[in-house]
Amino acid sequence: MNFSYNWLRELVPTLSTEPSDLLRLMTLKTAECEGLEPVGEHFATTVAARVLTVEPISPGSHNRKATIDAGSLGLRTVVCGASNCRPGIVTAYAPPGTKFDKTDISRRIIEGVESDGMLCSAAELGINKDHEGIVELDAVPGTPLPALAPDHIIEVDNKSLTHRPDLWGHYGMAREVAAITACPLRDPVNPALVPTDPPAIKIANEDFTRCPRYSALVIDNVKIEDSPLWLQYRLQAVGLNPISNVVDITNYVMAELGQPMHAFDADKLDGDTIFVRNANDNERMTALNGESYHLTPAALVIADSAGPIALAGVIGGNDSAIGPSTTRIVFESANFHAANVRRTSMRLKLRTDASMRFEKSQDPANTTRGLARAVALLRRICPGIRIVGGLADLAAPPKDTPAIRLEMPWLIRKLGRDITAAEVRSILEALSFGVTESGPGVFTVTVPSWRATKDISIKDDLVEEIGRMIGYATITPVAPATPTVPPHDNPRRKAHRALRALVAAQGFDEVYNYSFLSEETAAHFGFAPEAHLKVLNPISSDQSLMRLSLIPGLWKNIQDNARHYDQFRLFEIGYEIHRKEGSLPDEVSHLAAAVYQKTKEQGPFFEAKRLAECILPGCELKPAEARAFEHPSRTADILWWGQRAGRIFEFHPNYVEGRAVLVDVNLGVVESLGAADKRYKPIRRFPSSAFDLSVVTLQRTLTGDIEKLLRQHAGPQLEALDFLRQYEGAPLAEGQKSVSFRLTIAAQDRTLSSEEVAAVRDNIISGMRSLGFDLRV
Amino acid sequence: MLESQLESLSRDAQARIAAALTPDALEAVRVEVLGRKGALAEISRGMGKLPPDEKKVIGKLLNEAKTQLEAALEARQNSFAAAALSARLDAEWLDVTLPAPGVRPGSLHPLTQIQQELEDLFTSMGAAVLDGPEVETEYNNFDALNIPADHPARDMQDTFWLEDNYVLRTHTSPVQVRGMAKLGPELLEHGTPLLMIAPGRVFRNEEVDPSHEHTFYQLEGMMVDKNVSIAHMLFFMKTLLTHIFKREVTVRLRPGYFPFVEPGFELDIQCLICGGPGCPVCKQSGWVELLPCGLVNPNVLRMGGLDPEVYGGFAFGLGLTRLVMMRYAIDDIRHLQGGDLRFLRQF
Repeated sequence: MNFSYNWLRELVPTLSTEPSDLLRLMTLKTAECEGLEPVGEHFATTVAARVLTVEPISPGSHNRKATIDAGSLGLRTVVCGASNCRPGIVTAYAPPGTKFDKTDISRRIIEGVESDGMLCSAAELGINKDHEGIVELDAVPGTPLPALAPDHIIEVDNKSLTHRPDLWGHYGMAREVAAITACPLRDPVNPALVPTDPPAIKIANEDFTRCPRYSALVIDNVKIEDSPLWLQYRLQAVGLNPISNVVDITNYVMAELGQPMHAFDADKLDGDTIFVRNANDNERMTALNGESYHLTPAALVIADSAGPIALAGVIGGNDSAIGPSTTRIVFESANFHAANVRRTSMRLKLRTDASMRFEKSQDPANTTRGLARAVALLRRICPGIRIVGGLADLAAPPKDTPAIRLEMPWLIRKLGRDITAAEVRSILEALSFGVTESGPGVFTVTVPSWRATKDISIKDDLVEEIGRMIGYATITPVAPATPTVPPHDNPRRKAHRALRALVAAQGFDEVYNYSFLSEETAAHFGFAPEAHLKVLNPISSDQSLMRLSLIPGLWKNIQDNARHYDQFRLFEIGYEIHRKEGSLPDEVSHLAAAVYQKTKEQGPFFEAKRLAECILPGCELKPAEARAFEHPSRTADILWWGQRAGRIFEFHPNYVEGRAVLVDVNLGVVESLGAADKRYKPIRRFPSSAFDLSVVTLQRTLTGDIEKLLRQHAGPQLEALDFLRQYEGAPLAEGQKSVSFRLTIAAQDRTLSSEEVAAVRDNIISGMRSLGFDLRV
Repeated sequence: MLESQLESLSRDAQARIAAALTPDALEAVRVEVLGRKGALAEISRGMGKLPPDEKKVIGKLLNEAKTQLEAALEARQNSFAAAALSARLDAEWLDVTLPAPGVRPGSLHPLTQIQQELEDLFTSMGAAVLDGPEVETEYNNFDALNIPADHPARDMQDTFWLEDNYVLRTHTSPVQVRGMAKLGPELLEHGTPLLMIAPGRVFRNEEVDPSHEHTFYQLEGMMVDKNVSIAHMLFFMKTLLTHIFKREVTVRLRPGYFPFVEPGFELDIQCLICGGPGCPVCKQSGWVELLPCGLVNPNVLRMGGLDPEVYGGFAFGLGLTRLVMMRYAIDDIRHLQGGDLRFLRQF
């Protein structure tokens, strides 16, 4: 929302605070001001001037040389390209030194003629968008342009006005300014201008919830033309396009009072009644923007007996629009239900200046004020008008706004500083609250109608009113009471933190990937798109699913980084989102880590396995059936305490060039398993004996399985079983391998005799041989 | 006669010990002189024929000579050993600037680092660290925070909608209500203030560019107690920010609208670059908008199961992503989730 400083000063006539100071004060006490822009600086030096002569410069050029009478500035020569530049007209003359937004005017030679300044179009002056020709004025040469002056625009962040329907017009902001600067506020509205005669139009309102108030007035003898320049300039400066006098007045009232208005061409209406009703199914309306809208009963419309003439609170209809030949109008000034306007405007994707205001919950009391102001303005710029009949006004009974009880001790406790009852009263009264002291230190506060629609209803709201006006800078920080018990523990976060440190120490760099996935990537990985939770309004199609796995994210990281590095390790800890019938999805935390090597040699499988063993000490790998993206001979489940806690696999060569091994650990499972209870075992005091054994077997026999068998046969005296090496090749037959282990045997209570050790060894050998293994000793 | 023989032998042996150039040469001298069949042994054997008083004199001289020679021998042996050791040490020269084998240590993401740092800070102040789900119900994300359907405040947060009316949480604020329900009874009924934070990932439906992300990180903070004032909140925020920025910061509050707090504030800090007079970083205002905060709206307290007539509190939302970018002067937010090791290895 843009506020004109001049406009505010019109409503706070004694305001002397400079625009930049005002901006700071407004930011600290009312709403966030994002910028201050000077506009119309050129009006400081631009004067009216009469064109005396016009002569061509050279054939074929539209530029002409004009002599002008600029009053006290004397006669000047300027080059002007406007077709309407002709002797006799009075126009705007910007002498050298005049500052415009983009350039400063200087004396310069144009087509061989020295131009002593510039004659200006309305667009150049920032009055409207009219570039066709120079402005034509009714003014005395040499005098400043009538009612056009340099101004400052204060830009206020709309988000910070979300709760303040009253601040969507200058008068509301002027009230704040008046309270902040302790200057009197001038009300631009004279309610007496609206006659109370019987109305010339009927209103039939079907839904007082959606339309709490509808006010209208018929006016005749209207002549549609451009608004005077001052009015156009004012609208243009705050970002509204001037259109024609009647439309401009509705916009002016909206920008001043925050009350959106609409004007219908009365002669284009069917019947003598305005209906406020829900749209019928499949009803259509062509709006002022030329679009045709398909309506449902969810939308409220304004209709005549032939059909909708406006979408309530959003936009007017094209058929009843004001045109050049309009002479009789109906001014509509109504109040619509915020949520309904918002829903309609969202559904039709049509946000207008009106809908933006109504969705903030406008004050129903403002409708007739808007009409009164519109009548005053129309009288001023279109003196021949005639008001037909009196005010048509249909309103729901005003809502009860209960008074708020405000106790001084409570207020002081919330603020955290002292304040006197007199100060509280004067602040609230400056903001138009009604204040009565119902007991010692107890106020009964009534809320003005324009703050009562949604903004203020509880005493906490008053803390803000008082706090911001005394200035939060006047509150001295005070230490709060602090907790005296250790904070609630969060073991999961602790575990994740330790895990991150561990994995990073193993050489892995941490990445953060998005929670989104494209259907294409899901399909690429063989994940069914329908298994994923869908985003209904994704920014782009590659973010339409919630990730069910961290693997695709890391896969992309591998592709990207392989362009720059020959080898690397990376990991992520994040959530998999699993949809669940009838409740919020399961968010399962996972750790995924990858080791990449560009070389195609053996690959980093065991580097990745080592990480798995660091994370899950004592885990076992069990070869598993590969998914599409997994290497069919290099994929395993990771078992921990017998449970499937994760997966390790090398990427299928179709997915990664080079070799990349990925470990994916379900931290939810790990958390549920927890750490095993540890129990001390006395340190053995007697020496142990060791011997080596080599098991000859088929190449694809799992070493892990051999180990298990050896353990079984070794019995309880086996203290350690260490893998030494494996060997393939001569003299072993093709397809065979030899796996060597060192076995350490010991007893707790004595030194084993060589016979005892031999017995264990023989037992293993015979046991293994009986299972078909060949043993080399 | 024996006396002079011994003397010359001793002198001669001393000279040979001194002249021995290798441990082997020294050993030859030892065998020749001190060995079982050496010169001294021979003299010793010859002593048997001497009269007792002479024997006594010679015996003493012999012992003296033997002790001296042994000492000389040992000294010489030691010097050989020392030379050998120092030769070995010299030969074992290493180029200590060669790179160490094995993998280089990895790194933690800058967001992890800042989040852990803040968790530690808050925990030291007595705060519980809570988690909330990234997929939330519409109710928890909005309604319970005093943002009903069709409220224009919903525009302040462009929302990703999921099936079944779920949303990707647009802020960490839903954890406020979850936290009050979980910890409120336990703490408050025993007269202990509730202090909690909830860091985490949040989502906004926004196009991504160097300064906008659809996925970013926030830290929600909340304190609830019987008498919590704006003055308390100011103290807390000032202390917190002084620790975060590791220097004294000046803060100011100004009105800000967030439906789940009343009054609501924007908290600005005095620009750390220019210190107040104005510079490009603070857009010449001298202040940098840092975080939204406010006193907890009574409706939200009620949603958390607490009686607003008894309890009050303050809440705030710190932008972790923003803090990371400020701390490391990162000019493109997309780096944070780009997975590029050239970026990540800098931290």
